[in-house]
Amino acid sequence: MNYTPRLPKHNYNVSPVSPLRELLVLLGGLLAIIVVAYILLGYGADILAAHISPESEQKLASILPYRFDTNKKGDAKEALLQRLIDKIKKKNCAALPYPVTVHVVESDIVNAMALPGGRIVVFSGLLDRMQSENELVFVLGHEMGHFKNRDHLRSLGRGLVFAFISTLIDSSNGSVAHLIGKSVQVTESGFSREQESAADAFALQTLNCVYGHVGGSTDFFKHMPKKLDPGHIGHYFSSHPENEKRIRALTALSREKGYSTGPKTALILPKK
Amino acid sequence: MVDLIIILSLTALGYFVGSWVEKRHYSSIREREQQFLRLPAITTKEIPFPAGRIRSIKLVEGSAVISIDYFKRLLAMLRNIFGGTITSYESLLDRARRESLLRMKEQAPEAAIIVNVRIETSAIGKYSRKRNIGCLEALAYGTAVTLVEQE
Repeated sequence: MNYTPRLPKHNYNVSPVSPLRELLVLLGGLLAIIVVAYILLGYGADILAAHISPESEQKLASILPYRFDTNKKGDAKEALLQRLIDKIKKKNCAALPYPVTVHVVESDIVNAMALPGGRIVVFSGLLDRMQSENELVFVLGHEMGHFKNRDHLRSLGRGLVFAFISTLIDSSNGSVAHLIGKSVQVTESGFSREQESAADAFALQTLNCVYGHVGGSTDFFKHMPKKLDPGHIGHYFSSHPENEKRIRALTALSREKGYSTGPKTALILPKK
Repeated sequence: MVDLIIILSLTALGYFVGSWVEKRHYSSIREREQQFLRLPAITTKEIPFPAGRIRSIKLVEGSAVISIDYFKRLLAMLRNIFGGTITSYESLLDRARRESLLRMKEQAPEAAIIVNVRIETSAIGKYSRKRNIGCLEALAYGTAVTLVEQE
């Protein structure tokens, strides 16, 4: 028996594949599938949102988990906001197919939200910055504009689509879904710029209808602290158009519609 | 956002450091394989020498544990979705097997042949849910045969 020592010329057990190329192909393919599915299902949700009746929306809202305490009675701030909503409604300034209720949540967050079922959540951080009733009506009108345009249902639909896709990926592995989830979250914070602009326009119209002028419409954006201005951090991280842009758009819109400005009504916030 | 940065940097670290380590390991493997070229390790159970020539036999075994890096794991996870050959793990297994064979041979540098060689692999830390970064062990064992010196 002859033994001829020789090493194999080629390593058959390791594929000659460039790992970076493999990563690009796999990640690109996965992202492409997700993006296409997300866009298609997202559009589906948009179309469905337009067809959900106010009754179904109420039903839908009642089964959704709700993370704010809405059962507290006799909150003075809430009562004040509800009076403003009623005022808007009495003057027929915001035609919504269902009643709107306002909840005040004690928090430093300077924001307000429109939730399914005609619920507006206003954080006390925002209330504390309000200097006139007009300004507050503009904010409420903005949220009502989201109801009018059914933005809250659309974002709910898109949220569901996102949850669905991430669950699908999550079942096969954790970390990739985590990665993609994080990146989608950055692009999916609330409403789109178009939706915000449309809600701004609705709010402007409401404001003019209630007071006969649009004084105070841009105050809110001016009172926003500089560090909360999304333009300050880079607008990729926020769905709100930068405050300056919104002020400019509102001024241009008032000019176009021939709205005038007038004296603002003082806002007296109840003390805690 | 912070999580994303952590994952991305770990993946980048896995790619750059991982391929550097792998390159170094492979060059060491090739060099030592060349050194041990004269010592064959075969899988037959029979010793291909007459009994009179055998001076001693002994069990030799070598084991090597190689860890997965985040980059290879990411590639494997993506492959899990689409299916197909997980090429990113191939080099890990290849390195573990060859390293364990070399370590086995290093235990018997005086031997003429190692017979009945088997290689076994096992995963270590595969099921830890939190840090599911696994590693694998390859264990090679065989019977080293030393021959009587011939005039």
